[in-house]
Amino acid sequence: MSDVGADAESERMQTLMKRFEIPLLQFATRITSDRERAKDVVQETFVKFQRNGALSHEAEPATWLFTVCRNGALNVCRKEKRLMYLDEEMIESREDEQPMPYAQLEQKEAAGFLLRIVGSLPPRQQEVIQLKFQNDLSYQQIAEITKTTANNVGVLIHTALKTLRQRYGHASKDFLPFNPRTT
Amino acid sequence: MNIDDPKPTAFALDELNGPERLAIAREVADSPEAQRFVDEIRELARVLKCEYAADAETELPTNLIDIRDDPWFWSIARPLAIAAVIALFAVVAGVTIFSHNRNVTVARFEPIHLPAAVGKSGDVQAELAANEARAESEPQASLGTPASRSLARSKVESYGGIRARSGEFNTAAYDHIVENPFLDAAGNPLSTFSIDVDTASYSNVRRFINDGSLPPKDAVRVEEMINYFTYDYPQPTDEKPFAVHVDVASCPWEAAHRLVRIGLKGREVAADKRGPSNLVFLLDVSGSMEPVERLPLVKQAMRLLVDKLTENDRVAIVVYAGASGLALPSTTGDHKEQILLALENLQAGGSTNGAEGIRLAYKIAADNFIKGGVNRVILATDGDFNVGMTSQGDLIRLIEEKAKTGVFLSVLGVGTDNLKDSTMQKLADKGNGNYAYLDSLDEARKVLVQQMNGTLVTIAKDVKIQVEFNPARVASYRLIGYEKRMLRKEDFSNDKIDAGEIGAGHTVTALYEVVPAGTNANPAASVAPVDPLKYQRVESEETLRTAKRLQPSAEMLTVKLRFKKPDGEKSELIERPLIDEGKDFAKAPADLKFAAAVAEFGMILRDSEFKGTGTLGAVLEWAQEGKDSDANGYRAGFIQLVGKVQILRKG
Repeated sequence: MSDVGADAESERMQTLMKRFEIPLLQFATRITSDRERAKDVVQETFVKFQRNGALSHEAEPATWLFTVCRNGALNVCRKEKRLMYLDEEMIESREDEQPMPYAQLEQKEAAGFLLRIVGSLPPRQQEVIQLKFQNDLSYQQIAEITKTTANNVGVLIHTALKTLRQRYGHASKDFLPFNPRTT
Repeated sequence: MNIDDPKPTAFALDELNGPERLAIAREVADSPEAQRFVDEIRELARVLKCEYAADAETELPTNLIDIRDDPWFWSIARPLAIAAVIALFAVVAGVTIFSHNRNVTVARFEPIHLPAAVGKSGDVQAELAANEARAESEPQASLGTPASRSLARSKVESYGGIRARSGEFNTAAYDHIVENPFLDAAGNPLSTFSIDVDTASYSNVRRFINDGSLPPKDAVRVEEMINYFTYDYPQPTDEKPFAVHVDVASCPWEAAHRLVRIGLKGREVAADKRGPSNLVFLLDVSGSMEPVERLPLVKQAMRLLVDKLTENDRVAIVVYAGASGLALPSTTGDHKEQILLALENLQAGGSTNGAEGIRLAYKIAADNFIKGGVNRVILATDGDFNVGMTSQGDLIRLIEEKAKTGVFLSVLGVGTDNLKDSTMQKLADKGNGNYAYLDSLDEARKVLVQQMNGTLVTIAKDVKIQVEFNPARVASYRLIGYEKRMLRKEDFSNDKIDAGEIGAGHTVTALYEVVPAGTNANPAASVAPVDPLKYQRVESEETLRTAKRLQPSAEMLTVKLRFKKPDGEKSELIERPLIDEGKDFAKAPADLKFAAAVAEFGMILRDSEFKGTGTLGAVLEWAQEGKDSDANGYRAGFIQLVGKVQILRKG
């Protein structure tokens, strides 16, 4: 590896890290529920990325990075016998565990309101929402990362957005019979 | 559009290709509803992306990528690691701040507005034109057949009134209230609104204050606060379903102004004269209803009501959660044990599916319909309706249709954190019903027992008020509250326009603050000047009067009322003129003083620009003077509440 090549690669790696480290960190934190573990996982992900020489030939590394990061995070869960992330029962219970406190509804116009609602969705929905809207990945890419089909990703995103729209209070606006008549 | 079909969402996110994309594109082009859905998904996506971007900014990089201790890494990627270390130093200060206060750099976003749909539907049109020939020969083209098109269109028309603004994205659980301004009586001689017997705002405000906080401004609906209290207006002496009383005194918070009160009193119906009732309780038993102040409170409230029912009455209970079901088939009121047992067995759990439950409840109400009796669905919920976009439109239609067949809807709101206040108010309005918020068993007793007939027996519907002001006596006026109830002047005599209902024994009160002609208006009460018209000459009042040969009348205003009998389609008219005899507030009737106190309290809580010189101390004084006999202790409760706000404000 020539010095020039190394410089170019280091620059590209920096760009990559800048772009993906926070999304990856948030992604892994949600799975492991442990920020320190998540840091380890993301660090490992970047290291693996270099070891595999992916740097030189991967045009769009997002799918690769998120896939490896997700596997790493799930491994942490398995090893440490944390609650199984994809356990269906837990998905249900998590949904009801986090009702939207009144005070938060009051802060709707503040930044991050939707993200807080996202945080109350079932984990698999959170995952695809993050991949789709934070990282702009296609249904197909998300399907590869989360080891499912693009159709299923479509259903998850559709369901998640439906819930978001409702919790966002849009539902109430829809019952708007008389405002238009205001003189 | 099927709400459980993920394809429209995929379309909005540009994830569809080929014939699938084309099929949805056609649907979107044909249906404003679908267009709206797509716009909303895109808007939601935009906001999500913004929030993710802002969120990432709060997560300052990066002591995370500390990969220096990986020996392999050192050997291969030394230059990179050095760069990373430099980057690390650059942000160390930021990391420190970040770890202490995550919110330091949280950005604020503007309220959300939907992008104009024009551009997008334009795209779709172009795409359609390009693919027209192909589309016609493909199976997907069936989406755009004339039949389905006209179906979509008729669906839209059936709630056309809503369409105009439904594209807006709501950002508050409480709809924003823009207070009625002062209007000049010469230019706007008519003030038209629908009556309102809802009381939820007061109990909701009370809950906030009792919890030790001031309510959000838009939770304060002044007319609902005023109408929470019953006033001692005489009953009708003629054959009309209600009596109309109008009087005026000086305005206590603005001495130069006059305070006009319009009071309606519905005819009392003795409990034993009440027609037989066919009640269907529709109870939300989703998981969120579990806390003691929700489903258990509703159950207690229903026990109180069941106690009052007779063998002429019927009760059914429909529950909704993940699945909806019939918990109690329609049962006559003498089988109290059976009803109470069914109530006892209700438990909260599962997620909400409101739409299905409502359909079932209406079906049961229709199956047991009592001609000439009370037919009512009573919905109790903390407001989490799990219905999708399309079925919400359907839901409104359903409620409106059923109201026309004589099955009305009442809404009981409970709970604190998830309350969709505005949704419930609107649902009840559409269903010719009333909306009450239950914050305690006492409140439940008030709504379901003491005022049971008022809650259940509607004696007049579509009650509209139009006040005509005499510009010779009145410079300008302001209707206090009723912002959500304003009607256009031509709606008054249009019997197709829906308005509020009045129940047996109900009182309805509306207050106008009036600036008499010739008064030097205080700045808040002045009417904003309008630039002169270019194409018309505005005649002076004198010229107009001469031209129309009107003598200046001594009357200050005339109150006109229109209403329909509960089963009627044609409205009747009542008129009451008012002459101002210059009465002072100190000599005003107790009820007027009390209503003024409540109005001013509401305006102070809203921090209204129209609150004038009034203070909480003055509110207390007027309320004390207006307390009167206060048989049920509601007014004493109000006085306590004002005292609590005084303490909260000081603290």
